[in-house]
Amino acid sequence: MKFGVLLCASLAFLSAASAQVQVSLDPKAIGKTPIDSWTTFNGDYTGQRYSTLNEITPANVSQLATGWTFKIDSVGAQRGASEPIIKCTPLLVNGVLYITIPDHVWALDATTGKEIWHYDWVDHGGHLVGQRGVGMYKSTVYFLTPDNWLVALNASTGKELWKKNFADARKQYFSTSAPVVIKNHVIVGVGGDAMDMPGFLDSFDPETGELQWTWWSTPRAGDPALKTWPNAASSEHGGGMTWMPGTYDADLNLLYWPTGNTNPVFAGQGRPGANLWTESIVALDLETGKLKWYFQVSPHDTHDWDNTTAPILIDKMVDGKPRKLLAQAARNGFFVTLDRTNGKYLVVKPYVPLDYYSGLSPKGEPIPIADKDPSVGGSLNITNATNWEAPAYNQKTGLMYVNAVEGKSIHYLLDTSEHPSGYGGTGAGVGLSTRFLKAIDPLTGNSAWAHEYPNMNNAPGTVGASILTTASNLVLTGDDQKNLIAYSADKGKILWHQELAANESGGIVTYMLGGRQWIVAGAGDTLYGFVLPTR
Amino acid sequence: MLCRLFVSALAGALMIPVAAVRAQDVPTGGGRGGGTPEQRAANTRAFLGLGPAPDKAAATRGAPGYQKACAFCHGPQGRGAEGPNLIVSDVVLGDDHGEHLTPFLKVGRPEKGMPAFKNLGDDELKDISEFLHEQVEEVANRGTYQLQNIIVGDAEKGKAYVAANCTSCHKEGSFEHIAGRFRSADQLQRGWVWPNRPADNSLAITGTVKANDGTTIKGRITQISDFRVTLVDSDGKSHVVSRGAGVDVQITDPLAPHQAMIKTLKNFDMHNVTAYLESLK
Repeated sequence: MKFGVLLCASLAFLSAASAQVQVSLDPKAIGKTPIDSWTTFNGDYTGQRYSTLNEITPANVSQLATGWTFKIDSVGAQRGASEPIIKCTPLLVNGVLYITIPDHVWALDATTGKEIWHYDWVDHGGHLVGQRGVGMYKSTVYFLTPDNWLVALNASTGKELWKKNFADARKQYFSTSAPVVIKNHVIVGVGGDAMDMPGFLDSFDPETGELQWTWWSTPRAGDPALKTWPNAASSEHGGGMTWMPGTYDADLNLLYWPTGNTNPVFAGQGRPGANLWTESIVALDLETGKLKWYFQVSPHDTHDWDNTTAPILIDKMVDGKPRKLLAQAARNGFFVTLDRTNGKYLVVKPYVPLDYYSGLSPKGEPIPIADKDPSVGGSLNITNATNWEAPAYNQKTGLMYVNAVEGKSIHYLLDTSEHPSGYGGTGAGVGLSTRFLKAIDPLTGNSAWAHEYPNMNNAPGTVGASILTTASNLVLTGDDQKNLIAYSADKGKILWHQELAANESGGIVTYMLGGRQWIVAGAGDTLYGFVLPTR
Repeated sequence: MLCRLFVSALAGALMIPVAAVRAQDVPTGGGRGGGTPEQRAANTRAFLGLGPAPDKAAATRGAPGYQKACAFCHGPQGRGAEGPNLIVSDVVLGDDHGEHLTPFLKVGRPEKGMPAFKNLGDDELKDISEFLHEQVEEVANRGTYQLQNIIVGDAEKGKAYVAANCTSCHKEGSFEHIAGRFRSADQLQRGWVWPNRPADNSLAITGTVKANDGTTIKGRITQISDFRVTLVDSDGKSHVVSRGAGVDVQITDPLAPHQAMIKTLKNFDMHNVTAYLESLK
């Protein structure tokens, strides 16, 4: 009987919470500058992760305190992951936060951090390496599962509305991305490079889940880009996954998507050529998915340099003229600034020490030195200069902020056959690797300032802190030792830090709620809401 | 009683959060490491979410049959020749243990020139299916990967490099000892380029911390951030010092010459030195 009473009480509480929540997002508000909401992976469509909010400033950030925490304690170990790690960027709509890990979505009350609902997907395959978050449209939340289902959930209740499978987990496709909702399109990217499959980007109808278009990241028969591959079969198995959410320019109606590594991954001898459009930034028409232009950041990649960091949209005056630019700190160590109307380059410059290229092609693409390719005896090259963690751009300082790694790895070629398959090689760090927070001028590629994160141990692998920057001259990110840190955006001066339960591991967001500015960040299994004390 | 009614009335309308603790085949520590090659393969299989493991014994039995009946068109490893690549084939990847492939092979694809293997028995066809799954495994499961013989350098040139670059710190005659510490050539290569710091702390990073009250602490630095430094003094006592104004930290790393070398080391020098050290074993 006691049990019955307890159950009754907890259900009553839940019903009260559920009854309060009626979430609805006006499609016209999606992608607008985030103020009292955070409606897409990057907050808006630019990828800047720049907030105009200015309640939290360099003068008062030292008073920032934990308002609430939400700890994922109901999941435990997942296949291949001993503990849950929040690698998503939360969305905030109508005072409700949406967060994910692989197979799981939570809706939280953003004022208290309390759970409103929890959605639990039972996967049948796929790699549970990370989950970047949900997309939203009206009263629907879109979630990608490890085994490649696009699941539509009722944003208020977490009830499943429909689901659609878009890739075969048995071909080692798996999904980690956050869908990007633009107008009447849900744009869905895919991952998976174990089995030499082609990457693609899908667009679905947000109401019905109907497929609108597919863009393949490698060319098919009849396409002139096929000449960058030895034959159609190698192109059709050439990789180029669309792991990470892209950006979008509403005036040009163009999507900007970064594409992942070429397949086979480390063994390039079976695919001579540049291998388009892997390792590229591509501009696609939103309505049709047709390619407008491309810029290949790592031609003929043999180092798993997924070109998946955010292509950030920047509007700037250059030589007295307003220019529509796009900038990316690529995983291959190059900082790239392009004209986003046509893909022509302004800047292609290393932002970490590099010695693997002999120069730039007339189009501005780095020309790799063959001796730096993975080899049987081992070949030294850079460790990934950055990874999926989000960079940021501050409209006031005009600087882009990137968490970068300087270090070396030895890469071995394991599959020496004429027709290698899969990874075909391997790489591991050697020596000390060091993380830096770099503030880079997108018009020169030079660092205005760089902060070295002191650490006796090497920089951690792929769990990196994301970045948020504000109009009040703040940059927020994390070090490798569990500290969330606020820097001044113009000078890189440390203004505040707080030690968390783990390294900051997801996107950092900010919004106004209840008349106060909140900063929300994930670290390991815990989401933190920070706020200034009430006056 | 009221309470029970309340529950049943709500049950249909509410999404009840599922207790989400699920029994999954988690490798200890969540890593891809593991003692034996079999454990490493199994851990990587779990990490990547690959399908069921192929039956190795059956794959071995199926190898001669595959080479005889299939290799001419599909290549010795199933990666394609005249005929298509089988390890990326929908039919192969859609099959676990021959349940789809066995009936498929009996029929073939005569319209595309693939014969029906009616004369082969179910067991033999299942073994051939497992052989194909083993070929997929060797590609998709990176835990099964093996290094080739990485000794590709010239030992004489390596000896000259060592004489020119290493003997200011390392005594002549100490290189046999260094080489002898490694079981495999890749461990040797990694180990001489960037030595492990031994448990006796002989290669530990040390430092001097001047606190703002004027005291100085010397010892082995175990961790440092922008906000504090932790060091262990010669008595084994641990000190945690907050880094603020007036606190000075000086660090000495005995491996600094190796770190400097890594930044400019050429592949051929690395290969030559590894070949030289391997010759001393």
